[in-house]
Amino acid sequence: MTLFIQQLFNGVALGGVYCLAAIGLTLVFGVLRIPNLAHGSLYMLGAYVTYFFLTTVGVPYVAAIGIAALVLFVLGVLLERLVFHPLRNSPHTHHMIAAIGAMFFFQAVAQAIWGADFRRMETPLSGSLHILGAEISAQRIVIIVTAIVVLSLLTWFIKRSIHGQTIEAIEQDRTGAALVGINPAMVSMLTLGLSALLVTIAAGLVSPINLLSPTMGDSLNLKVFAIIILGGLGSLPGAIVGSFALAIAETMTSTYISSAVGEAVAFVVLVGVLAIKPTGLFAKAVQR
Amino acid sequence: MTSIPRRASRPVLAAAVIGTFALALGACGGGGGSGDSGGDESVVIGYTGPLSGGGAAYGENVQTGLQMAVDDLNKDGLEVDGKKVTIELKSLDDKYAPSTAASNAQRLADQDKAPVVVSPNAGAIKAIQQINDGRSKFMISAYTSDPAIVQSDNPLTMMIPPNFESYAKPFTEQGMKHGGKKLAFLGTQSEYGQQWTKAITDEWKKANGKIGADNSIDYATVSDFAGPVSKALSEKPDSIFVGGPSQPTALIMEEAKKQGFKGSFLVMDQAKLDEMATVTKLKNLTNSVGVLPVKEYKDPGTKDFLKHFAEVAGDKKVATSETALNYQSIAIIAKAMEVAGTTSDPEKIRAAVPDALSKVDDKYKVNGFPTEISDQGHLVNPDLDITYLNKDEKYMKVPVDQVSDTK
Repeated sequence: MTLFIQQLFNGVALGGVYCLAAIGLTLVFGVLRIPNLAHGSLYMLGAYVTYFFLTTVGVPYVAAIGIAALVLFVLGVLLERLVFHPLRNSPHTHHMIAAIGAMFFFQAVAQAIWGADFRRMETPLSGSLHILGAEISAQRIVIIVTAIVVLSLLTWFIKRSIHGQTIEAIEQDRTGAALVGINPAMVSMLTLGLSALLVTIAAGLVSPINLLSPTMGDSLNLKVFAIIILGGLGSLPGAIVGSFALAIAETMTSTYISSAVGEAVAFVVLVGVLAIKPTGLFAKAVQR
Repeated sequence: MTSIPRRASRPVLAAAVIGTFALALGACGGGGGSGDSGGDESVVIGYTGPLSGGGAAYGENVQTGLQMAVDDLNKDGLEVDGKKVTIELKSLDDKYAPSTAASNAQRLADQDKAPVVVSPNAGAIKAIQQINDGRSKFMISAYTSDPAIVQSDNPLTMMIPPNFESYAKPFTEQGMKHGGKKLAFLGTQSEYGQQWTKAITDEWKKANGKIGADNSIDYATVSDFAGPVSKALSEKPDSIFVGGPSQPTALIMEEAKKQGFKGSFLVMDQAKLDEMATVTKLKNLTNSVGVLPVKEYKDPGTKDFLKHFAEVAGDKKVATSETALNYQSIAIIAKAMEVAGTTSDPEKIRAAVPDALSKVDDKYKVNGFPTEISDQGHLVNPDLDITYLNKDEKYMKVPVDQVSDTK
């Protein structure tokens, strides 16, 4: 029983990380209609920039994540403006090729600046909490709490603020939104910036329990794609439910079946969803 | 469709693409040796290894050792057949892919006339062995502890590190002595990790130990080690087998201690205890059996090598056997060229290795220098030690009886 509770908490913490990463990806898909294959490398860069501010510059942990999130926001905006915007009228394959190019480019930059070695990010949060016999480290509790806070803020932003509402408007009908005076180009930049910001928070939170390396984004990339396909491309609730479902499924199968199966779960789910319900759990009205 | 006029700024796009490529090329082209030749003649030593992607750190460690040796040898001045020879290291990236490694090796042998190609991965070496003794001939300086590469009887292969199978028995003895009879597996899922898992399983059973479930995980893709560690500990093991790249291995051991594990660790040779101590405290790594760190060797050149390494790589990095053993092996190859009196005939160079071993300058002996080479081409240091890191954070030496390379 203790093992079950322990693994449940581990699963929920992992779900929080997946969630912050998947939400941005699904937003980008909703607005720009492109699968941003460079998402995992934005996550990796977010981790390195946080590491840079924390270790090299020496600002406190939370501030480091905040500054890194802003830096990555700008980078996301630039990525949209310089790579995806010029391709907006090209066939879809061009976006994917451009995204893969960006991914390799970011990895090469990270390796050139920080080297290929693994790096460890120290966190000021140590100690752990005992809940029902399970031992939950402070870092994991912070991950869960931050995920909830950030998701609430994001929901408020999209539903209540003018800029957020434009994102939803573009998602629902790009032409219609343009007709009522919303600038799709601005919204596209805002969305990619926001996705980079969210994934940086995820990276900043998970780095202390893992290691930094230029290829750290690769495995996350595959999993968040499985998540947003499971949840329904472009759907926010889908991404949230998908993240926690996949993370808990992953930890539980690793615990009660085997680690190899746990790692494969994401892809079994992916194939299953595509075969049975290709629109995902929370299908949005398919546009165009 | 959108109402935006279709005048996509192609020049901007083109500039961005070209800029991206230029930067990426600039970033990739960092490695490799310089091409200046000061002496009368020069010889290229080829290297194909992972210099980008997941294995890049490993590939760079090897490259550092090779480059340090080349620089030192050139400074000493190498003379072959009465002529002054400058050695040049040429590195190519194979991203850990055996097929790329083989074509890199072919290119190094054909275009650069390299008599020797270094490769640090068993799969790649097996692929290169298909092509090094046919139309083009070159020697493989093979950095892998998988004995399969000498079992294939390739006449131009030189295997550098000890056979990993030699470690299974002393690891098992030490692991049981400091832990207990029940073993859990938390190794890495790579092919090499699985070979180790099998070797340890066999020895552990031979010693009447109990084996728990195989909890091997992919060290590169798991984002949180707490889950797999909790699972392994739920079986209440006395010893745990761990190992993959040093840093993730360190995190797993730290997590196991945090969750209350008191037994012993068997640390696969891919992970180096002193390198692991760069990401966690040494006290989180105690009560473990592993390979002896380079700094614990008492070879005549070890101290100077470490000093030199710190100048090259910075004092935050730890010199591992990947760097040190490849450093030694290039010195052996250079000496063999001198003895053979040729820089271009790989067969003569390979044949001169046994004579060259005793003639290598002491300063190149840094990490258990080999005294002989087996008929199959395996460099052997008869005084091989492993280490037990005790609770006082001291590395104790434990001698190893080496097993035969034949199946």
